[in-house]
Amino acid sequence: MGLLRYTLNRFLQAIPVMFGIAVITFLLVNSMPGNPVDVMLAEQDASPELIQAIEERYGLDEPLHIQFLNYIGFSWFLAQIGFPGFADAPPGLLQGDLGLSMYYERPVSDLMLTRLPPTLLLMMSAFAFALVTAIPLGVLAATRRNQPADHVSRIVALIGVSTPSFWIGIMLIILFSVQLGWLPSGRLVYPWRDPSHYGYGSTLELYYQTVRHLILPMIALGTLQMATIMRVERSSMIESLQKEYVKLARAYGVSERKILRKHAFRPSQLPVVTLVGLNLTSAIGGAVLIEMVFSINGMGRLLIQSIQTHDYQLVLGTTVVIGFVFVIGVIITDIAYAYIDPRVSYGEGS
Amino acid sequence: MSDTILEVTDLKTQFYTERGVVRAVDGVSFDVKQGEIVGLVGESGAGKSVTTSSVLRLIEEPGEVVGGEVDYMGRTIVGFEDTGEELVPRDEMLTEAQMRDQIRGNEIAIIFQDPMESLNPVYTVGGQVKEFIELNRDLSGEEAKEEAIEMLRRVGIPEAAERYGDYPHEFSGGMRQRVLIAMALGCRPNLIIADEPTTALDVTVEGQILELVNDLQAEFGTSFIWVTHDMGVVAEICDRVNVMYLGQIVEQGPVDEIFHDTQHPYTEALLNSIPRPDRTVDDLEPIEGTMPSARSPPSGCRFHPRCPDAREPCREIEPAFEQVAETADGAAHRASCLKHEEVGYWEAEPLEVEVEK
Repeated sequence: MGLLRYTLNRFLQAIPVMFGIAVITFLLVNSMPGNPVDVMLAEQDASPELIQAIEERYGLDEPLHIQFLNYIGFSWFLAQIGFPGFADAPPGLLQGDLGLSMYYERPVSDLMLTRLPPTLLLMMSAFAFALVTAIPLGVLAATRRNQPADHVSRIVALIGVSTPSFWIGIMLIILFSVQLGWLPSGRLVYPWRDPSHYGYGSTLELYYQTVRHLILPMIALGTLQMATIMRVERSSMIESLQKEYVKLARAYGVSERKILRKHAFRPSQLPVVTLVGLNLTSAIGGAVLIEMVFSINGMGRLLIQSIQTHDYQLVLGTTVVIGFVFVIGVIITDIAYAYIDPRVSYGEGS
Repeated sequence: MSDTILEVTDLKTQFYTERGVVRAVDGVSFDVKQGEIVGLVGESGAGKSVTTSSVLRLIEEPGEVVGGEVDYMGRTIVGFEDTGEELVPRDEMLTEAQMRDQIRGNEIAIIFQDPMESLNPVYTVGGQVKEFIELNRDLSGEEAKEEAIEMLRRVGIPEAAERYGDYPHEFSGGMRQRVLIAMALGCRPNLIIADEPTTALDVTVEGQILELVNDLQAEFGTSFIWVTHDMGVVAEICDRVNVMYLGQIVEQGPVDEIFHDTQHPYTEALLNSIPRPDRTVDDLEPIEGTMPSARSPPSGCRFHPRCPDAREPCREIEPAFEQVAETADGAAHRASCLKHEEVGYWEAEPLEVEVEK
């Protein structure tokens, strides 16, 4: 019960934060140098009528505050209740409409729906890879403290945190795609598509190809995460293993294995959860680079393209959505935290 | 009633630090008989906790038990033999697995000093009690849970069944200490080592816990080693007392003898430093100075630099730990002080006590 209410509360609390993100992004995008209409017309000598027609089409002829109300979707509400002056206001963010991309001539939300899944797939697999490797390594290093296994994993972690992910990506491509020819060098195969789309005979083959295509970008993006998680896991386990309650378990004849697996492990996951939660969101930045290196048509590439083409609505849309993903990531972290640590108050009775 | 269950002989435990070897326990001998509460008293750093951890072989790196014998009901917990060059563990010494499966928890249980840190914050209180009971007794999970609730109830936790699923942070310090006692008693051990279990509690709670232990001890017949620095607690519950100073036992005897026929100046000093209602703070006689480091203990009698009765020989001669007084029931009353030896103590000049304040 408590956890459910807590979850609901956290989402309610996130609403003003998301609103803030929308406001700030809107203002920042509007203060970008260069006029989107000029870029769109590619320096042709367009007639004032044409310029005005384009501005009208994208709602750029309105004053800034009206543009904002349109963008958020307030105007649409005002139009619904018949507020004078907002008669034909378009739906906005609140209605799930992010406007029209100038470059693609398609609704931004449509683009988002095709571009967000690959990015999420990439990030989820990168974190799965990072967690699956980092947690056992961290525990191992903690139990073999100051022994060779510990030193090796610490050196690997140090290299991992200090090597840029795009460089790792390029090196992986050179080694495994170009030299050895084992794995494809770019693009993803989406498991949610029909196998025939790629010319595969079965769903099994589709999944197999998905995995093959994911391995290199996953490692490239996940290495930094693996290294940071491992370091935190190690120090957190070392701390737990010296706690009084671990000594007590030992004094009651609990085996070392069980102490590791149960008594020391769970309490030491709190800092790891925090770290993963924060990194999940900051890894979006890393994903942008990896998508470029591996030619993956995800959110990151979309964002970069939109900036290059001055695609006003698209820049706004991608930035806001990434901001929302960030907030949701933080909320999930908080919930995971409350789930693991009973001391985190659910905010009841306050 | 007088069967000895635990016999510790000349136990030595050392810690290897960068600044030298710390002889935390340096030749400690005592025993525990069935059904009695034996006190282990001394200032912080005297080696009390290291002694009890050594008995359970729970000393961790960089520490090590380097000598002596610990015999528990015919089983060798610690035992060495001299090969001529070095001391090696004897064959009959219990293996680590035997210690874990046969001794820790089911024969000898322990209650730690800090109830706030001794329970795992992410598991329920009841679950932790149940886990240890299930592990150390031949009970199914369901039976262990019932037993855990029953023990929680017995140690005075109200609505034990409802509180079974609560987490440690929902319990007060005193309640947590009761949980730890329930944990220890629930495993039905023969001997419980209570390592300053009431030190972190306030005095009223301490009183309740001591009363509880007295009742439960009478009921279950469990023996206790009660580690404390508080002579008041000793008077309250102990049958026999061992007074420790700097890794050694300096006086040992039945509790009445220790209080009324004190034989060692250190014990005397401990007794004089207890606040009492009939004395003001000015009348208190704290022991001057602080205990020296166990890395380089003083020569002769280890207490001589702080001893109000120290005389010339105390600096050179290490006193033997011997029977010093007759007791009514023939129980041993031993002390290590040169006053009781023929070494010219009484003829010598008193030492000027140089105390660092």
